[in-house]
Amino acid sequence: MVQAGTGSGFLALKGLAARYGATPVLSGIDLAIGKSEFVALLGASGCGKTTLLRAIAGFVTPSAGTITVGGRDVTHLPPDKRGMALVFQSYALWPHMTVAQTIGYGLKLKRRPQPEIARRVAEMERLLGLEGLSGRKPAQLSGGQRQRVALGRALAIDPEILLLDEPLSNLDQRIRLSVRHEIRELQQRLGITAVHVTHDREEAMVMADRIVILDQGRIAQAGTPEEVYNHPASAFVAAFMGAENTLLLAGRRNARHFMLHESARNAACVVHAQHSTLPDGPVEARFRAGAGELLPKAAPGAPPSGTLELWGEVLSTSYPGGLWRHSIKVGDTTVLCDAPRAFAQGEPVKLRIPPAALFLFAARPAGAPSLPGARPSAARKDSTPEPSSQPEA
Amino acid sequence: MVSKKMLGLLLVLPALVMIGVFFILPLIASVIGAFETPEGAGLSNFVKARELYSEDILFSVLIVTLASLLIGFFAIAIGGYLTLGENPRAVAILRWLYRWPLFIPFIVVGQTLRTFLARNGLMNNMLVGSGLITPDQALSFLDWRGIVIAFVWKQTPFVALLVAGAMASIDRGTIEAARNLGASRPRILIEIVVPQVLVTLTVGLILSFVTMMSVLSVPLMINAQSPTMITADIAFRINAYGDYGVANALGFISLIITSTVAWLYLKLSVKERS
Repeated sequence: MVQAGTGSGFLALKGLAARYGATPVLSGIDLAIGKSEFVALLGASGCGKTTLLRAIAGFVTPSAGTITVGGRDVTHLPPDKRGMALVFQSYALWPHMTVAQTIGYGLKLKRRPQPEIARRVAEMERLLGLEGLSGRKPAQLSGGQRQRVALGRALAIDPEILLLDEPLSNLDQRIRLSVRHEIRELQQRLGITAVHVTHDREEAMVMADRIVILDQGRIAQAGTPEEVYNHPASAFVAAFMGAENTLLLAGRRNARHFMLHESARNAACVVHAQHSTLPDGPVEARFRAGAGELLPKAAPGAPPSGTLELWGEVLSTSYPGGLWRHSIKVGDTTVLCDAPRAFAQGEPVKLRIPPAALFLFAARPAGAPSLPGARPSAARKDSTPEPSSQPEA
Repeated sequence: MVSKKMLGLLLVLPALVMIGVFFILPLIASVIGAFETPEGAGLSNFVKARELYSEDILFSVLIVTLASLLIGFFAIAIGGYLTLGENPRAVAILRWLYRWPLFIPFIVVGQTLRTFLARNGLMNNMLVGSGLITPDQALSFLDWRGIVIAFVWKQTPFVALLVAGAMASIDRGTIEAARNLGASRPRILIEIVVPQVLVTLTVGLILSFVTMMSVLSVPLMINAQSPTMITADIAFRINAYGDYGVANALGFISLIITSTVAWLYLKLSVKERS
């Protein structure tokens, strides 16, 4: 993928690893972030995304690897010498300080003259829609206003890099949707480089230029929202990007294609080159509930070439809005599928999944607890956690 | 319904009776006693207390105020290091050490410091021994300074315990946010941490103030000559003269002083909440 200014990266992480005591939290993180790029670190809780952000910010000392900003090694610099500002999940506003004092604090620490601070604070308040709130303390502000004050405090010092630690998770749903766009718009207007931590897929998709999906302290995949959504590199990424329906099928590989064998629950199907790296044998098929087409079992016609057809029976239906959601029993597994009309309970159906929406991965060995082994073509160099060269003080 | 109410009252009655008989009643008796004179109700006990002890009253207030300020300073320093200290071993040692004086009674503190601070005590011997001062430069600290040192030594851990607890429970993010902007540790302590624990600090200092106002053993052990603290005067009036009138008047005066401090605190906390 080509990203503006990526190259070696304005903010570059090389072989970064971190641990809490003896527990490795991050290992072998290589990431290059371009200037003015908005990158989202996406992952489930405990995947290490916040630790990664805190390592970039300088609050966690990496056990190995380097962090550079514009070619300057900042790995061992204190947080304030890195040209970065962090927005905390809890906002971490100072309860005893007013909005103006909070936003101006960074400049006060830099010993800027009072008129300059006042000017900058007013500018920030205007930029963030906080006019008239200068004299208020955090307790007198709404959640959204607090969030903007936290953002103003970070932006007032004019950082090169803005780090956001789940800044929207404390807002209620409706405000969150608008603040997403506000932050994105602000980032583009200021041309600032931003790294945003979130566990919300949709939030990452709409805000970021590039999404980095973390799994157990490693990068599972990095790419544009469109890439990670449509071309997940592993079953983990596919599941994380909403392809929750999973079926175990079997197939065989030839030079250019992968042939899925016919079984009691599916028709034979030939899938194309992108899956030609799959090994022979069992494969894990994944697809989204909205990806398939639901038809009565008796409907005439054969599926288009490359489209997988599954046979099953409707277990139940529900109406979450827009489309009807069907729970369908296919063999001994249950999958979800959306359709514009409701099928009757117990009705035999066929489910067609077009090639673009079908993700195939080498099946995990039975009972394997985690996913690293299931990474097919995108398998990266497996780096074991390096011994801690710099234990945390 | 009525019987339930009665049952509730009955349940708290023993506690109420205890408080009434053993706390409120003696306090009222002592306050009334302050106004009882051989000639009937009057202020002559207070006149006498003022004539004899106004210097001691002022001395008590100054000593306890100074000690409170020093305790506040050291408690913030200890709590601050426990919260912001970056050397885990030093933090662990401090955490283990600083509480010890909590378990030592005032009388023992007085006794220990008497032998330590005297003109030929351990402190001066050490200073002379190390060549820092000559024997004729040795000073006795067994005056107001001794009392202040004893109070600070004994009460700092108590306030530090409260303050360190409050500091530990503030959002670490507020500290990191300041660090992120480049604030030094002393600045973080003064501008970010202390303002957030101010109420706890004030409560600790007021409780210490009241405690120190009531300590008899330390002034008796360290500095029984004039000027001394009100507590020593009260003991003297009763033991030497059987003069309960003036003793009660002095007691009433120290009650007024501590109530003033408590009132200031209440006013402050109401302001904080509004």
